[in-house]
Amino acid sequence: MMSGGPAVRVSIESSCERQVQEVSLDGMETYVPPLSMSQNLAKLAQRIDFGQSSDSDEERTDREKRDEWSTREAEEDEGTVKFQPSLWPWDSVRNNLRSALTEMCVLHDVLSVVKEKKYMALDPVSQDPTVAKTPQVFQLISKKRSLATAAQLLLKGAEKLTKSLAENQEQRRQRDFNSELLRLRSQWKLRKVGDKILGDLSYRSAGSLFPHQGTFEVIKNTDIDLDKKVPDDYCPLTVQIPSDLEGSAYIKVSIQKQSPDIGDLGTLNLFRRPPKAKPGSQMWHLRLEAAQNVLLCKEIFAQLSREAVQIKSQIPHIVVKNQIISHPFPGLQLSISLCHSAGEKKSQRASPDRIKPDDHLYVLEHNLHQLIREFHKQTLSSVTMPHPASAPFGHKRLRLAGPMGYDKAEISSWQHIEGLLEKIIKQAKHIFLRSRTARTIDSLASRIEDPQIQAHWSNINDVYESSVKVLITSQGYEQICKSIQLQLNIGVEQIRVVHRDGRVITLSHQEQELQDFLLSQMSQHQVHAVQQLAKVMGWHVLSFSNHVGLGPIESVGNASAITVASPNGEHAISVRNGPESGCKVLVQFPRSQAKEPPKSDVVQDGKWSHLRGSYKEVHWGRMEGRNFVYKMELLMAALTPCS
Amino acid sequence: MEAPPVTVMPVTGGAINMMEYLLQGSVLDQSLESLLHRLRGLCDDMEPESFADHELVYLLRGQQGNPFILRARRSLLKPTSPWHLRYLGQPEVGDKSRHALVRNCVDVAASHSLPDFLNEMGFRMDHEFAAKGHLFRKGQMKIVVSKLSRVHVPGNLENTEPLSLSYLVELSVLAPAGQDTVSEDMKSFAEQLKPLVHLEKIDPKRLM
Repeated sequence: MMSGGPAVRVSIESSCERQVQEVSLDGMETYVPPLSMSQNLAKLAQRIDFGQSSDSDEERTDREKRDEWSTREAEEDEGTVKFQPSLWPWDSVRNNLRSALTEMCVLHDVLSVVKEKKYMALDPVSQDPTVAKTPQVFQLISKKRSLATAAQLLLKGAEKLTKSLAENQEQRRQRDFNSELLRLRSQWKLRKVGDKILGDLSYRSAGSLFPHQGTFEVIKNTDIDLDKKVPDDYCPLTVQIPSDLEGSAYIKVSIQKQSPDIGDLGTLNLFRRPPKAKPGSQMWHLRLEAAQNVLLCKEIFAQLSREAVQIKSQIPHIVVKNQIISHPFPGLQLSISLCHSAGEKKSQRASPDRIKPDDHLYVLEHNLHQLIREFHKQTLSSVTMPHPASAPFGHKRLRLAGPMGYDKAEISSWQHIEGLLEKIIKQAKHIFLRSRTARTIDSLASRIEDPQIQAHWSNINDVYESSVKVLITSQGYEQICKSIQLQLNIGVEQIRVVHRDGRVITLSHQEQELQDFLLSQMSQHQVHAVQQLAKVMGWHVLSFSNHVGLGPIESVGNASAITVASPNGEHAISVRNGPESGCKVLVQFPRSQAKEPPKSDVVQDGKWSHLRGSYKEVHWGRMEGRNFVYKMELLMAALTPCS
Repeated sequence: MEAPPVTVMPVTGGAINMMEYLLQGSVLDQSLESLLHRLRGLCDDMEPESFADHELVYLLRGQQGNPFILRARRSLLKPTSPWHLRYLGQPEVGDKSRHALVRNCVDVAASHSLPDFLNEMGFRMDHEFAAKGHLFRKGQMKIVVSKLSRVHVPGNLENTEPLSLSYLVELSVLAPAGQDTVSEDMKSFAEQLKPLVHLEKIDPKRLM
């Protein structure tokens, strides 16, 4: 610090003057006595604001604080001291210099210590033993343990989650089971017996008296693997139906020509109709419906076979295996069979070699179902309910039998209700008769063109009665020749024909009778047509007979004949028409047109030559004209002169 | 005129001996609707049948202790239907395990001159009552829910007074003797009516 440069003498003088305390009267100034060292110090100290502390001045402030305290008593004596700004402007400079010096001295000391190592030596500071590095294995084990704890917690949580998820799924399946059960219960009767759920699929609550119990059991379907995907047709409940109601069944009613060999009976092809699956219906619903159908078919067949054995009829009914055979008409065989294909497996045989035409009368099968349901309803009708209430169940008329004194004949008369078999046989007879009538009429219509036969079948029929209106017309002359109109009422065994002219004829079931009758009517029509045509053309009818007794005998019906005369009387046409012999037309010409006019002495007048004379037969086959009436019209027109 | 001596002999109804199996219970008036609903669901599917009957109980007292009882019943809703005469025998004391009361029963339909006839025969009317209610059936089982009313003036059915605030429920089957499966069916049916009504075997002798 003291090196370099000439020394500069610095003199410092305080510039403060002593203050004038008072000026005496003689001009003598009394100066304020200068402050002593301690007083001066105190004054300076007063000026220091100890609130603002600086680092370098900390020590000083401490000292000054102490001093302040110590001089505080002194101050009390002296009074307050005014704060004055720093008297020494070089104060900060001096301080900074001094601090710099201190720093440098310290640095110098440290360096000398490091370099010389005479008085002091540097020694590394020992580390805090707590901050010491642990061995790695220890760390690994501790980390592992902490990880294991964390993993355990996580695993526990995961386990809880999976358990709750499984429970949810189980619950959903449970809920599915319950909702399925609810749906099942809304359609079928169920009841709980012990811990089993049983159901009733029989018709007993609907009035059936069939002894089959018809109970099925509802089982929860637990063989489901939750891991695998749930199949689409999975159902949480299955039904177990009695073994004899499995599969599907139907009653086949068919009419065939009588089989010559009685050994043919009992062999029946049980081709299976696949059940029609409605969309959205569950498996159990289909199975239960199929089982119920099987039960109903069994009941129908049991009822039919019971009646077949009990009822006495002219030709006894044959009941063999699952078939009932009866003969409604001679040469005809009605077979009612119960076709029950049990189980789901397809029939062993392949489809038969020749497909038999399906002669299954579906209408009768449907009617059988309806009839048995009618029978059920009868059991439940309010007619059987007793009034008064203590009386036993039974038809109310039976209860009247005692008081009214009915005898056995009376009771049996109203008690004889037609059984199922009788009804079905009657219906089958009617169906057969109706179809055969239709076939007869159609074959005649296709075979014979002139005259035409038309059949108008009534839409509204009964199971035992149908009606058809048969018109015989000639083409082109429908308005003129419409005298043959027949109303056929087809019953169970007979056909009743009502003619337009009021005649009522009863025909039997024989096909030939109807055919013969229609043929005779057709031949009569031709003659009637001539009559109508004559009216239109202006010709006069001389004679007309529906059943003429002359000429060869017809094997079918009778021949009819008509004679008409032209308007001017010159010509006459005679027609004789028979169903078998065909038509014969003769024309009578006036005498004047004969080849050899007869000369007679008696008849002299010329007017007699206008009378009609001999007959000539017309070659009807060579006549022009589409049909008989047309030809007749032409003939009539030809024989009428224009003039 | 002194009543002729009456010997009580076993009564047989012709060729077949019919037995009546009976279970009885009762419900309060306010529970009637729920019982009817339940029965409607359990029984055969028919329109509910209501009835109104008038029953007269005739006694024939002889020298012996027990009088001979016959019950004549007619329908008030259907006056043209015949009267019904009923004889009920003593309950069969069989094994205790039989669930229903079994007694011999003879049912006869009679014309409208029945009361006069019974009077001529020597029977005297003991009491009469009116029964009104509903009738159900399930197969062979008959369920009768009836309200019994007392008749004040004999023969006059205009003002009747109900005997109690409840309905009598009876489950009965008429079957030939010897069919024990009937009581099993009746018991299982009665189970289905619990807890609405408890049908049980009530011995009439114990009531007297």
